[in-house]
This record gives sequence, C-alpha cells and structure tokens, in this order.
Amino acid sequence: MSDIFLRILSFWQDLVDISEKHQLINRMGRFIEYSVVGRKLPTDADPNPKLYRMRIFAPNEVVAKSRFWYYLRQLKKAKKASGEIVGVNVIHEKKPLKVKNFAIWIKYDSRSGTHNMVKEFRALSRAEAVEAMYQDMAARHRARFRSVQILRVAEVEKKDDIRRPYIKQLLEPGLRFPLPHRNTKSKAWFAASRPSTWA
Amino acid sequence: MVAQPSNFKRFVEVGRVVLVNEGPSAGKLAVIVEIIDHNRALIDGPTTSVPRQPFSYRNLILTPYTLARLPRGAGSGPVKKAIEKAGVMEKWEASGWAKKLAARQLRTTSNDFDRFQIQLAKRARRDLVSKAFVKEKKAAA
Amino acid sequence: MSPSDKKMARSKHLAPHIGHLSRSQVAAKRGLHKGKKTSTVPPKTETPATVEKTVGGKANGEKRLVPTTKASKYYPAEDVRKPKLSRKTNGKTALRASITPGTILILLAGRHSGKRVVFLKQLDSGLLLVTGPFKLNGVPLRRVSQAYVIATSTRVDIAGVSIPESINDAYFAKAKAAKSTKEGEFFGEGKESQGVSDEKKSEQKAVDASLLTAIKKVDKLAQYLKTTWGLSKNDKFHKMKF
Repeated sequence: MSDIFLRILSFWQDLVDISEKHQLINRMGRFIEYSVVGRKLPTDADPNPKLYRMRIFAPNEVVAKSRFWYYLRQLKKAKKASGEIVGVNVIHEKKPLKVKNFAIWIKYDSRSGTHNMVKEFRALSRAEAVEAMYQDMAARHRARFRSVQILRVAEVEKKDDIRRPYIKQLLEPGLRFPLPHRNTKSKAWFAASRPSTWA
Repeated sequence: MVAQPSNFKRFVEVGRVVLVNEGPSAGKLAVIVEIIDHNRALIDGPTTSVPRQPFSYRNLILTPYTLARLPRGAGSGPVKKAIEKAGVMEKWEASGWAKKLAARQLRTTSNDFDRFQIQLAKRARRDLVSKAFVKEKKAAA
Repeated sequence: MSPSDKKMARSKHLAPHIGHLSRSQVAAKRGLHKGKKTSTVPPKTETPATVEKTVGGKANGEKRLVPTTKASKYYPAEDVRKPKLSRKTNGKTALRASITPGTILILLAGRHSGKRVVFLKQLDSGLLLVTGPFKLNGVPLRRVSQAYVIATSTRVDIAGVSIPESINDAYFAKAKAAKSTKEGEFFGEGKESQGVSDEKKSEQKAVDASLLTAIKKVDKLAQYLKTTWGLSKNDKFHKMKF
C-alpha cells in the first residue's frame, strides 16, 4: 500500500515543483529592454562603418537582435547578411520600486491602415509599461506583436502633462476606493451549495 | 475625490494595512504605500519582512487598520515608524482574526503525536460536558 | 549495428519514478521466463584451436589440422546482445534523514500495519531494527524495510538502551525445518508450532525494560504507542506532518 502511496506522493511533489518554476518565469515578465548595437561589415571602401544603437523591447536576446535588423533595414541601407551585431546589453530600470507614469508612442498597422497612437501607463518599469501596452493593444484592437512598432517610451514627470483621464484619475490626492466584489474560495472538499458567481 | 458617505468601511488607500494572501509572504501584514492602478498596489511590510513589491488586490485582504496621513510612496523607514506609532502589530495580534489564523497555523504544523494529544484532550472535554449535562438534566427533572 | 548499440527493452518513465510498464510487463519484456539473467563468466579452460589427425589416402598427406570445434552452419543475421557485466557492488542502504535511533515509526505493511513502534538501529542488511515495545503494542523485535514505514518527528531518548550484539540479521533467520516424510505429514507429525524460544523472550524483555523507562518519562507517550494510526475521512495525507 505504501509503495504506491510514496510513488504518488513523489509524483505529486514533482508536479508542484514544476508549477512553482512556471510561476517564477511568469513573474519575470514578458519583456526586457535591450540596447542593441550593430553596424555594416567593414569593407575596403568603408573600413570603419557607422555604429547604430537601438533600445529594443523583446522577450529574449534572439528576438532583440532580429528586431534590430528589422528596424535598421527600414531606416538605413543595411541588412543582417552584410552586417554584424556589436553588442547586446540589458538595460535595467534605475528605480524599479518607484511607481511612474509612462507615455508610449506607437505606430500601429490596423486592418485598414496605419495609425499613430499615444498611450499612457502606470508601471514600475519601462519594460512593464511596454508589456501592458501590447496587452492593451491585443485587447482593444486584436493587434499582434508584429503590427505594433514602438516609437518612443518616456516617463511623464509632471502631473499636468498627463493626457489620459484614466491615468489622471489615479493621481488625485486622497484617492481611495473600496473592493466591492470579492470572491472567496472555499477550501473545503465539499460545498453545501453551488458557488454563486453572480455579482 | 471628496470622501462621500459610503457603506464600505475598508478602502484601498495609501496607508491601508493589508493581509498578504498569496506567495512567499502569505499570512503577513503589509501596508499599501502607493496605488499603481485599479488592479495593483505597491506594498511594503518593514516590520513583517514583506519586501516592497507590487501586489494584486486579488491576493490582498484589507484590514480595518490604516496609517493616518502616510504620504504617497513613503520609504520603508517612515512606514516602519508609522506602523510602530499606530501600534498596528499590537492591535493585530490582539484581534480574533489573527488568533484564528495562528490557531489554524498551529493545527497544520502539528505532528502525529500532537494530534494524538489533541484527540485525548477532546475526549476529556467531551466526558466533562456530557457528565455535567446528565447531572443538570437529573436536577431539572 | 554493433551489439552494444542494441538496447534492452526498458520501462520508459511516465513521470519521475513511475514507469511506463508494470513489474510483470517489464519481466515479460526482459524475457525473465527464460530464466534469470546472470553475467558471471565461467572459468576458462584452455583448449587448443586445432587438433592434428591422421588421415587416410595417399594424396592427403597423412596428417591434417582439424579445428576442435566445428564452425556452425548457422550464422545469426543479427547479433544477439550479451548481458553487460556489472561493475557495481551494492552499497549499504542509505537511511532517510528523518529516521534516527529513537524515532517513532508507523508501520504500513504486514501484520502489524498501523502500529507505532520505536526504531532502534539499522542492521547490516539495511533493514530497520524495530521494537513495539512488546508490552505496549505486541510488536516484538522485528526487521522492517524503511519503504514500508512513516517516520514521525517524535523521538524517544534511547541513549540508555543497550542492544545486544547478538541481535543481528542472523538472529531473525528462520531455522530450517527437517524435511518431513509424506507419511509423517499425513499423520500431523512436525506440525506443532515451536513458539518463541525462551532465549528470545528474555532478550526482548532486556531491550524493552530500559526502553519502557525512557518512554514513561514522556507524558502520554506510552498511550500513544499503544494506539494505532489510520486515515479517516477528511485527512489530507499530503498536507499532514508526522
């Protein structure tokens, strides 16, 4: 009896370990800000090609380098086949525990045309704000990662420079609000009545 | 926002003491230091070793305690002073809620021998109660 | 394909420690019904590869070298894999960290399953030497595998308990009964149970006496050892601490 018991127990333990690891990965966030530096390959005609540096938001280095070449070939006469990446570095947030207001300027290809947008987010880091922006674009416009180009990400330091009312309302002095709809989950194995999900 | 009369008694606000309900700090008290948005707040628990971190309201429980006039985004030092001044930890430990949580914690950490002793104690109590009941019943009849 | 590339049919793991195949399926795959696989090398006897034999016939040169073993006509199309020689030796069973001398264990299998017993020491075979004590719950000095035991966090101080050297694996070995004839068996000869020898009884008492004094020092501990353990309706085994 106990042999099976222990085997099941250890199996269950492994599952718990796996799920904890996943939680850790999720908490790390989807985006990291990279500074990618690259140039064209040196030739006899130009032994010292100009260096280009970009701040890129990407989930990992591979995507960051790929996005670098994507943007560079649109802006300059350069491509990956005849160029090289000089360096990829992670840009860390200077004050990751300060709540900041960010404005993000984006270019968005919708189904019918191209639009420029400015959106505002309250977040602890630039990468977090960018993540929220992609999530927001996906929700409101069903936009994919490929159809959104970030033009600029900047912190809005002055309260009066905030444009959007949904951020403005969070900056009111003495802000407070209740949590009216709390769902408490029963930890019992059996419940006498079916849970009510209605507000 | 002018505070209007409300039926609610506990609010998300800067200085509100909260009970963390999830993660490594679960079961500890912390303070809302700044409201990030309608889903998350920055919390800090310098007296309970809850690190300063963003936390979703879903995983927080509002307590009846607040730190009056805590400025927005106050550092860990001032928060600690304010908690000590308001005597939040003493009030919390004296509350029935905290005692219930502590008792529950004690139950889950009890070992096999402890459980056996609880069983014996319960049996003794049952014995006393039933005997007293029979006695009363006889006296009433 | 060289022979070493061929792999034996193995039970692939579904999840850690849980094999894809059951015990019997593994046995079937390994072909254990053909007999146990052993890898001992028989002692080599030197035999000459060829033997000189005289041959008749003038044109045959009188003598000829003939191989001692005739090459088989059959040649296997595929190489048959020989079991690998194992260089490993069995080490001593490692005890779980939670089992130390004096730990109270809960037995999970056998006739005493559910009983709480005291762990005395590990024997050379890797099994655990355990006693009830006999007076409290009827468990004598006994060997159990640590796989069939829950270790609790409760411990008895057994510094004052001396375990005689004579209690080892040989102590528990069964005495070989003399073969009874069929006729004798029919008449019920040699059927009477031999019971526990007086020697074992006194050894049991000697070990238990000092253990019982140690147990009595802790309140309610003797009562605890007397009662059996079990799971009831709302017990969540994975969340319980022992």
